[in-house]
Amino acid sequence: MKVLTRSVEETRALGQRLGETLLRPGDLVVLSGPLGSGKTAFAQGVARGLGVTGPVVSPTFTIVREYEGRVPLAHVDVYRLDRLQELHDLGFDELLDDRVTLVEWGDAAGPVLPADRLEVRLEMPADEEDERDIRIAAHGESWQARARHLGELLVPFKGEPAR
Amino acid sequence: MLLLCFDTATPQVGVALGSDDEILGRIQLARPQHHAEHLAPAIHYLCEKLDVTLDQLSAIGVGIGPGLFTGLRVGVTTAKVMAQALRIPLIAVPSLDLLAFEVRYTDRLVVPVLDARRGEVFYSTYRQVPGGVQRLSDYEIATADDLAGELSAKGEEVLLLGDGALRYRERFYDLDRMEFGPQSLCYPSPSALVELARAKFFREDFCQPRQVHPLYLRLSDAELNWARLGR
Repeated sequence: MKVLTRSVEETRALGQRLGETLLRPGDLVVLSGPLGSGKTAFAQGVARGLGVTGPVVSPTFTIVREYEGRVPLAHVDVYRLDRLQELHDLGFDELLDDRVTLVEWGDAAGPVLPADRLEVRLEMPADEEDERDIRIAAHGESWQARARHLGELLVPFKGEPAR
Repeated sequence: MLLLCFDTATPQVGVALGSDDEILGRIQLARPQHHAEHLAPAIHYLCEKLDVTLDQLSAIGVGIGPGLFTGLRVGVTTAKVMAQALRIPLIAVPSLDLLAFEVRYTDRLVVPVLDARRGEVFYSTYRQVPGGVQRLSDYEIATADDLAGELSAKGEEVLLLGDGALRYRERFYDLDRMEFGPQSLCYPSPSALVELARAKFFREDFCQPRQVHPLYLRLSDAELNWARLGR
């Protein structure tokens, strides 16, 4: 599924919609996209949607940040990691169970992440500074059951590019 | 002789203090899963109530898994630091052995199963021997379904216990003549650790702190795939 946002605020709003109505404990969201594409903004939206009230900042240097909300959130950034073993050593496998886990640059860590996941890829069109093409793909059993709900939720973000 | 023992391979923090011939006390906390916040206070409480000071301890016994990373690193590090600081021996005991030891009275094949998360379990197989149990296979990690398949192929009467056995209970229903352990034996028992560590103490089966490594079992040699992503 492909959607489009026209500003950082809209990217954040998309994340918030997912957090509010779709994500539940045990879910893994894999975020990918180049630096500056809005991965952290999307994560901030998800956090807000999950009822996290405090500030959500990039976990690049701490690698994992945990937040309490209506549903707890683990925000992970694997940017500084080199070996997949490091993810196991961080206790990543234990995070997944009872919260929403969001992994920035998660596409680099594909093999150690569970197959059941929501993939969110942010792309920056060359000619539009603030626009983002966002591809969302749901994999695995738990997402199959929610595919329709996901599709409905994305409708408001399917506007034509303003060019 | 006084042994301080703890196991943190699961969501539980389990601490026990034992003497030559007695379990003097134990604490087991399974929630919330805050090993770092619970372990030292639990040790402190137990020692204080039993009127034991740390310089009276003869050795430290620690469960080394297989188990979950966040708990194991707390327990194993605490054990190493205490043994070094107090200059007393360190005794390492695999956590699955503790579960099996608790049910040594059955002639079934004993299979302790701990939840490894992500649909996988840590397990091994044991058989009753005089005074204890003998391990028959390596410490393994597998999906609950693969373990069920392996046990089904053996076709033996099985006793499954541990939090992994209970969590994935329905995966094992197809096995003939299987039996499940109770919730009270869901996590490795610190009292069993006292008994097994005590036997090792009298055999002087000690470890150098730097030689003790947790059994994580979940290993990956691969690197993150940055080439394509241009980090």
